[in-house]
Amino acid sequence: MSRRIAIERVIFGMFAAFMLSVPWSVPAVVSPFWVSIITEILIWSLFAASVNLLLGYVGLLSFGQALYFGFGMYGVSIGIDLLHLGFWPVFALGIVAAMAMALVSGIFAVRLTWHYFAIITVVFSLIFYFLAVRLKPLTGGDDGINFSMPPTFSFGGHVWSFTDSTFQYFFILVTVSLCFYLMHTVIRSPLGKAFLAIRDNDVRASLIGINVYVVRLVAFVMAGFLAGVAGALFAFFGRYASATYMFYQVSGEGVVWAIVGGAGTLLGPVIGTTLFIIIREVISTHWEHHSLIVGVVAILVVILAPNGLVGLWRNALDRVDQSDNKPVDKLQSRTGTP
Amino acid sequence: MTDTLLLLALNGLIWGLIIALIALGLSVIFGLLDVINIAHGDFFMVGTVVAWFTLEMTGNFWLGFFTAPLIGFLLGAVIQRFVIQQVRGAAALSIVATFGLSLILQESVRIIFGPTPRRILPPITSTIPIFGIEYDVYRIFAALVSIAALIGFFVFLQHTKIGTWMRAVRHDRDTAIAMGIPAQRVYILTFGIGFALAAFGGAVAAPIATVDFRGGVDILPFCFMAVIIGGLGNLPGTAAAAVLLSFFEGVIQSVADPTVARIASLVLMSAVLLLRPQGLFKGFVR
Repeated sequence: MSRRIAIERVIFGMFAAFMLSVPWSVPAVVSPFWVSIITEILIWSLFAASVNLLLGYVGLLSFGQALYFGFGMYGVSIGIDLLHLGFWPVFALGIVAAMAMALVSGIFAVRLTWHYFAIITVVFSLIFYFLAVRLKPLTGGDDGINFSMPPTFSFGGHVWSFTDSTFQYFFILVTVSLCFYLMHTVIRSPLGKAFLAIRDNDVRASLIGINVYVVRLVAFVMAGFLAGVAGALFAFFGRYASATYMFYQVSGEGVVWAIVGGAGTLLGPVIGTTLFIIIREVISTHWEHHSLIVGVVAILVVILAPNGLVGLWRNALDRVDQSDNKPVDKLQSRTGTP
Repeated sequence: MTDTLLLLALNGLIWGLIIALIALGLSVIFGLLDVINIAHGDFFMVGTVVAWFTLEMTGNFWLGFFTAPLIGFLLGAVIQRFVIQQVRGAAALSIVATFGLSLILQESVRIIFGPTPRRILPPITSTIPIFGIEYDVYRIFAALVSIAALIGFFVFLQHTKIGTWMRAVRHDRDTAIAMGIPAQRVYILTFGIGFALAAFGGAVAAPIATVDFRGGVDILPFCFMAVIIGGLGNLPGTAAAAVLLSFFEGVIQSVADPTVARIASLVLMSAVLLLRPQGLFKGFVR
């Protein structure tokens, strides 16, 4: 057994132990301030994962994922505020709205690739951003909609609701974990292999019988699902929806988080999001110009670690391999950034 | 009614000429360096801020027409050398790098200039009657300056050695290097010129727009629209598209509010992207 595999197993074991223990004990250990930051990290990680699903696995750079995040948000808040629905119907409404929007815009968008794809996705998101700003009675425009949370479960006399911040944290943790598990399953399935084939060479993929258009569309709707769940959760978390979350800068942040963490890896977006949200939240309490540091970190990472932070880690593992005088397995050391 | 239409159309036309300058900078950077420059709107913003500081320090507005592009050029050259050159060859990485730049520029201006938007009074305050309305002479002047700068840029590109180098490197980088063209220096010049064009646009627009550290955020999508509708890398097409788009928005604004006008031009742009991704003017100008 090579040292690389040994190291990977140890790290994986430590990581699994960490994931199975730490997030679940968070509310008991840390202050409410940190619980709310970790909740935010979970939600935005899911958003970055939706960028990553397209960029890292299918090779499409979407600059408009905020649109589906926004639809998830508005599905929830309009459902509660105007339609007076309960928790589960509005959750479903948000996700379905985001996926429907992804399907409709994807039918057009995935006909294009690369720069053109990046630009048409941002154009679609801008169209709906301006519509949301304009349709004030429905969306509240820039001011947004505030609403009060309906209960999530009620069983007998007991009611569980997001007003209990521990319940809120665990609900979001479970939902985000399920989504990541789902993404992991899809990537390992034959469909996931088709994603990778298209990312690496779409012509060759079409020659072996993959319907490139349909597979790209499926990936686009899945990414819309992830962004929609993130948006719905964020609306529940803030009891708030606003057009500002549909602006292109939000999409851009998702792209930055995914790439800095490492596109084409399951955990890259989580790491990138964690890094930037912690910088933002921790430094902003001490220094109001924290975005200066965010900008510098983003530039340094792309210069020093072009495959993201996860890529940096993999390179370190490759060096362990080389010091063992074994040839590097090219397929394994691929970090997958297109 | 027709008066408002003509007035808004004229406003749109003039604004379009300024946007043409900025979008041209974006297009040059994109065409030569393959960099999707998210910070380009902030280059424009830096131009407005330099114009403001020039006016504050010297009391002379016109000096801003020189200081803004000069500082823009120097900043652009430094950014190309120390940031863009390090991430060349990967468009996704260039997006992250320019996103970082955008944050750095906005935040630096917020520190130096302050968070409150300010206005510059037009240096020419007189008005002339057009279509029965007293129209600002400065706007007309801004349009003329923009036209002059556009012509100047194309003359530079076609008739000077550096302009020829830029075209050669864009056309075929390897052959150009083999012919002895210093490609790295051309890249630095190009990024500098791209920044200078946006900053010059900022200085010209400063008395019409507001001077604000977030002033570039709304400009950026519009410039991308012009670059796409004109055809990626098609410089005259970009300039023409900027003027057309802005004129189009101006006309729609006479019957609907600016948000609706913006939505209409975005829908138009989607149609162009899907039906003619090579741009409206392919085969028309080359």
